[in-house]
Amino acid sequence: MSDIPKRITLQEWDLRYEQLEKAGTYEPDYGGPLSRHVEDGDQRLLKLRYDNSAAALRLWNFLLTEEDRLHQARAAGRKIVGTMKDLGTVPVMAYCFENIVAFYPDGAWWIPCVMELGAGLLEIADSLGIDESFCPVRAMLGAFVTGAHFPIPDMLVCSVGATCDDFSAIAQRLNGLGHPIFWWEIPHRRRPEPDETAVNLPGGFSAPKCQVEFVKSQLERIKTTLEGLAGEKLDERKLSAGIKKANQVRRYLTELRHLAFTAERCPLPALEMLIAEMLAIHFCSDRQETINVLKELLDEVTSRVRAGKGILDADAARIFWVNPVADLQVMNLLEDCGGRICGTEYLFTHALDIIPEDLPPLEALAQMALADPMAGSSIDRAERICGDIRLFGAEAVLISRIPGASHCALEGLVISEIVRDKFDIPVLEIEVPPVTDSMRPTVHTRLEALVETVKARRQK
Amino acid sequence: MKTIIYTCPYVPAEWIAAHGLRASRLLLDHVDSASMFIRTEGVCPFVRSFISEVMKNKGAGGVVATTVCDQMRRAFDVLVRKSNLPAFLMNVPNTWQSLAAQKLYIDELKRLSRFLSRLGGKSPSNNTLAKIMLEYDAARGSILTAREYLSARQYAEAIAAFGRNGPDQTINRITGTEPQTDGVRLAMIGGPLMKQDFDLFDLIEQSGGRIVLDATETGERGLCVPFDHRRLRDEPLMELADAYFGGIRDASRRPNSELYKWLQRELASRDVQGIIFRRYLWCDIWHAELRRLKDFSNLPVLDIDTAGDNDIEQQRTVNRIRAFLEMLQ
Repeated sequence: MSDIPKRITLQEWDLRYEQLEKAGTYEPDYGGPLSRHVEDGDQRLLKLRYDNSAAALRLWNFLLTEEDRLHQARAAGRKIVGTMKDLGTVPVMAYCFENIVAFYPDGAWWIPCVMELGAGLLEIADSLGIDESFCPVRAMLGAFVTGAHFPIPDMLVCSVGATCDDFSAIAQRLNGLGHPIFWWEIPHRRRPEPDETAVNLPGGFSAPKCQVEFVKSQLERIKTTLEGLAGEKLDERKLSAGIKKANQVRRYLTELRHLAFTAERCPLPALEMLIAEMLAIHFCSDRQETINVLKELLDEVTSRVRAGKGILDADAARIFWVNPVADLQVMNLLEDCGGRICGTEYLFTHALDIIPEDLPPLEALAQMALADPMAGSSIDRAERICGDIRLFGAEAVLISRIPGASHCALEGLVISEIVRDKFDIPVLEIEVPPVTDSMRPTVHTRLEALVETVKARRQK
Repeated sequence: MKTIIYTCPYVPAEWIAAHGLRASRLLLDHVDSASMFIRTEGVCPFVRSFISEVMKNKGAGGVVATTVCDQMRRAFDVLVRKSNLPAFLMNVPNTWQSLAAQKLYIDELKRLSRFLSRLGGKSPSNNTLAKIMLEYDAARGSILTAREYLSARQYAEAIAAFGRNGPDQTINRITGTEPQTDGVRLAMIGGPLMKQDFDLFDLIEQSGGRIVLDATETGERGLCVPFDHRRLRDEPLMELADAYFGGIRDASRRPNSELYKWLQRELASRDVQGIIFRRYLWCDIWHAELRRLKDFSNLPVLDIDTAGDNDIEQQRTVNRIRAFLEMLQ
């Protein structure tokens, strides 16, 4: 059995799976060959390229069996909470309850990609008046209507205020369809004024203390509501323990990101890194297993880096990626074009930063919620991106626009100007719809041009 | 006297005026939406016009934007980088049912006060604020009373003039004498209108209709509710906050049930026969309400969207409005 790290197709994974199975590789109960998920309609899997490690297999299987886990949770009598928009805060609290499982219905935005539009979710959204001028997260509406992709949650919690209009409008539409929503406010994060007490937030932003207090009051409301749903009090001790667990996930991801983005040879593909980062948001409906999956992935990457092995050439162009892609295949495409990821800002960096453990836990969570890059200005976000460009040594920035997303229309302008001012490196914007097949040549050409530009600049 | 410009109805003009500054609510121009200052792809035409207007405005002493919509929040980022005009971003909560949200709004008014003071304004006493609130309240009341006697365009222009100039000239400008009664009774619902959109009122009248409910942001829906005069004297700032934050029903509210309650009442009391839904391309907040409004109102609804290019869209809009009214007559 070859242990040379490389990117392989789904068909190649079937062979590889047989080898791993014969070798007695450990598999969790949700394990199995990846190709079985195609039978569920996940056609896009046939067109992706994957890391060939057992750790990556476990990661993919963990991701692709989340729906089963949610149904199992319901069957076991656990309450399901649909947390929406805040991307990382409320689940930290929700998973402190024994009988609550939280997940993001927002994640349905990838269903049109993974099922290559076969699920018809976007058509349902169309029929509800939410057309293609909205972000692909509109697929969530279709998922609620069909009930075919996740169990309808016992409770929905949605952050509004300093969020994107698309999601807020779609959530309101969902509410209008008869799904009650617990709304909570996340204010626009601003810098403290001279006469205000400043709080340094995880990740490096700052905010006035009054904003932290306000968000804390919002989280207190959520906590009370969750307690009612769970029939269980959430004291500081339990919440602190939950924060410690969340931080374990974040620490693994911090190490993983550092290794993946700074190693001489890229040790893990962009796609697997994207999925790994996503686990931080709601632990893919199983917090402990998230920790296990990430530990195995980190061990694999560590051993590859120590051995000087990687999945790409050492001269791959070092690209910082801004915003998640609606079509996962585009992450493959960057690598096909000779690029590698050296830094990411997928809209949820606050779910990767360590939550302070030396503060009252609700205050710590409030700080984390306010550190959401989308809650503040695009200027703040650009500054953070600049900090990470410096940290990871990126040579170019790629901003992938989400079709129809309210924030994408203007933020790219601000971010690209600030990055260029600070680093004089190329910045490219592309738009990525859920399935890019028809525009693949265009995207390919643009990515190639970016990679070539980076490599040409090295010669100077 | 410095002029503070803004567009959002949740910015209380009285608060700015009470600081000794001139509050001027902008009526934007479609022409500016095609400005070279910024990209157009994906950006709501109203936001484009706002950015362009602020950047070319030479007379203003400051600008106030709000967080009511995400694109306007992002527009503020562009303005602080591209314009030298002192700018303030006011956090207007989307939620409204909790005391904490109401307190946040009041705290933002206090923060706005500090911004205005930095521009030369003076933090008002309760008496000063109350006096100004009474003046604005009277002017607003006179506009509302005059509605029956004005054409829809005159009514919209009176509201716009009030927003632009304050109460001083408002009452004198309202000169209608005969109640307007002809035509199919329509409501216009949506976000803010721009200057050229007022032609729609004429077009509707020429086609046999009449707007009896201007529920756009620049119309009657964007006016705060009348003040409680007794409370106004004791706690003017609280009354101001309640009248604006609690009194203006908008699609951006979460939940936005109060908007629908208000519409239900107004549509019924004015015997509305059809709805013209005016929205901007890329305005998600209003666009998402279109289908819901159709389901809710049980009235014919005509969707008139605009990408900001009036020349190209004009004929299409004319034809659609005429066809709509033919159907209703």
